[in-house]
Amino acid sequence: MTNDTPVTNDLERDDNKVDYIIDFVTSSAISRISIKFLAIYLPILWVSGYMAVAVFFDVSRYINNWIITMLFLPFWLFILYFIFIFGIAIFSKAFLLMINMVHKPREGVFRAEKGDQDFEFWRLRIEVKKLALWLMNNSPLPWIVMWGFRWFGVKIDFSSHLQDAWMDTDFIEFGRRVTIGQGTVVMSSMVVGKYLIIKKVVFGDYTVAGGVSNIAPGTFLGDDSVTGAFTNTNFNQFIEPGWIYVGLPAMKYKPNKFAEQRRDKISIKEVEEEITYEVEHDVNIDAEKKELLNNNKEEN
Amino acid sequence: MSVPAYLKAGPFTSNVLVKKKYILFYIFQIWISMFVIQFEFWWYWSLLYYSKFIHFVIFLPLLIFVMYISLVFVSMFIAKVLLIFVNLFHKPREGVFFRDVSDKDYRYWSLRNTIKKWPTWVSHKFPLPFLDNICFKLFGVKTKFSNSLFEGWVDTEFIEFGKNIVIGQASIIQSAVIVGNLFIIRKTIIEDNVRIGAHSVVMPGTHFHKNSILAASSLTTVGQELEEGFIYLGAPAKKYKRDVFFEDDLEKIIAKQEHDIEELRKKYEDLYTRRKDKKILIT
Repeated sequence: MTNDTPVTNDLERDDNKVDYIIDFVTSSAISRISIKFLAIYLPILWVSGYMAVAVFFDVSRYINNWIITMLFLPFWLFILYFIFIFGIAIFSKAFLLMINMVHKPREGVFRAEKGDQDFEFWRLRIEVKKLALWLMNNSPLPWIVMWGFRWFGVKIDFSSHLQDAWMDTDFIEFGRRVTIGQGTVVMSSMVVGKYLIIKKVVFGDYTVAGGVSNIAPGTFLGDDSVTGAFTNTNFNQFIEPGWIYVGLPAMKYKPNKFAEQRRDKISIKEVEEEITYEVEHDVNIDAEKKELLNNNKEEN
Repeated sequence: MSVPAYLKAGPFTSNVLVKKKYILFYIFQIWISMFVIQFEFWWYWSLLYYSKFIHFVIFLPLLIFVMYISLVFVSMFIAKVLLIFVNLFHKPREGVFFRDVSDKDYRYWSLRNTIKKWPTWVSHKFPLPFLDNICFKLFGVKTKFSNSLFEGWVDTEFIEFGKNIVIGQASIIQSAVIVGNLFIIRKTIIEDNVRIGAHSVVMPGTHFHKNSILAASSLTTVGQELEEGFIYLGAPAKKYKRDVFFEDDLEKIIAKQEHDIEELRKKYEDLYTRRKDKKILIT
């Protein structure tokens, strides 16, 4: 099949040409969910729930004073919740290792249909990881999600943060001190028509992705680069290091001077040349009382 | 994986509260549905706690799982009964109404949303998405279990879904919208194999025909028709090109492509028209 296949339908407009280039972004929300997954979930939930319950009853045997029990109950529930979450993380990792032994995750273009092995296993991986990550993100300590991402195979550091963003959990690499804005969607996989595209996303050191933007699979963000808010990067796009990209699709906007300045300030701090400002503030009180204030000053 | 915090995703109802007394319906539902959990736990406690403590401990996690699911089903049941009762007084219908307390349709839309809120909230606070689908079906949205509608904000009435649909992260599918002083309800229809991109907004009355794609960060207008087998892009969405990605054997063509961004910008230029604000002199 070549790019020059003629259009079979009698269409008049010339923008209806057959065009296989992916120059738009869709989504990677998984397209099939079956009730079969309960077979994996139920044992994981049961065993990790049992861990929390067993710890609770085992410790409460030694405490006979009910006042102490009541006093520490909220703290206890907090700890038990995290025991539960870590239990789920450990058991789902065990499942994940088994799944990856059967079929190794790989990049490429696959069919998003029942029967395609890569698609089925991709779905399975997501669903296994989802339970633990969902609980971590909805817990009173959302920061442990970073640990969750590391645990499930994203190369990420605690110096970068993305608590308000949506991110895939395969084939993503983070540098140091990456900031990802609120509501940003970072995708390493994308469903286009009948096909599932999986490609690695790489964030360089000190990169910033603005709010409500979409990072498509295959995007490479160089060190010190910035993508603005409401920006879509394209499939396989290369964001040059030290540049700001803005728009739909992301275009070169201007060099990222802010990154340089930031480091200069750390090295050369000129305290002597600081300028002091004197500003007179008007006090917001009634006119009658203002006179009183002035009178007091004169007396002093 | 983690859903944006600014967007409570999943099937959801809007928070517009036309009259404050509607909250009473909401509190009533929560109260009644909690009785089930209480009863189940009491039964389990009296059965096993004193006689077989080890069994009590071992099966407790499973009981909590069952308790949660029964809470969801009971709250769904109560909401459905209330909805049937409310719909007897005023049947939900499409149309353009006034956004005012005196307008009956607007009031009842808000009341319906308040009733649906508790079951949708409870079913969505569960990490597994099966309950959302049941919730949808119960409230009269035509959908299939094969759809994934859990990463976006989806309205719970006047929506029809086909098979095998992907709805993107943080996208919004509406069937009711408030525009100034008007309030519009129109049925949104999404047919088979439609893919909706991340961060896109679908306005009420939009009709997606089969195999159409709405790209990310784009938005449809009220009552827009998206033709079969086309990709739409832009705000408002315009026809971009034919959707050829349902053909066979494209793996190699897709995998090795790189594109010229400058040229792409020119392509996009027509779709994302830039408007310059005229200076308006206020006298």
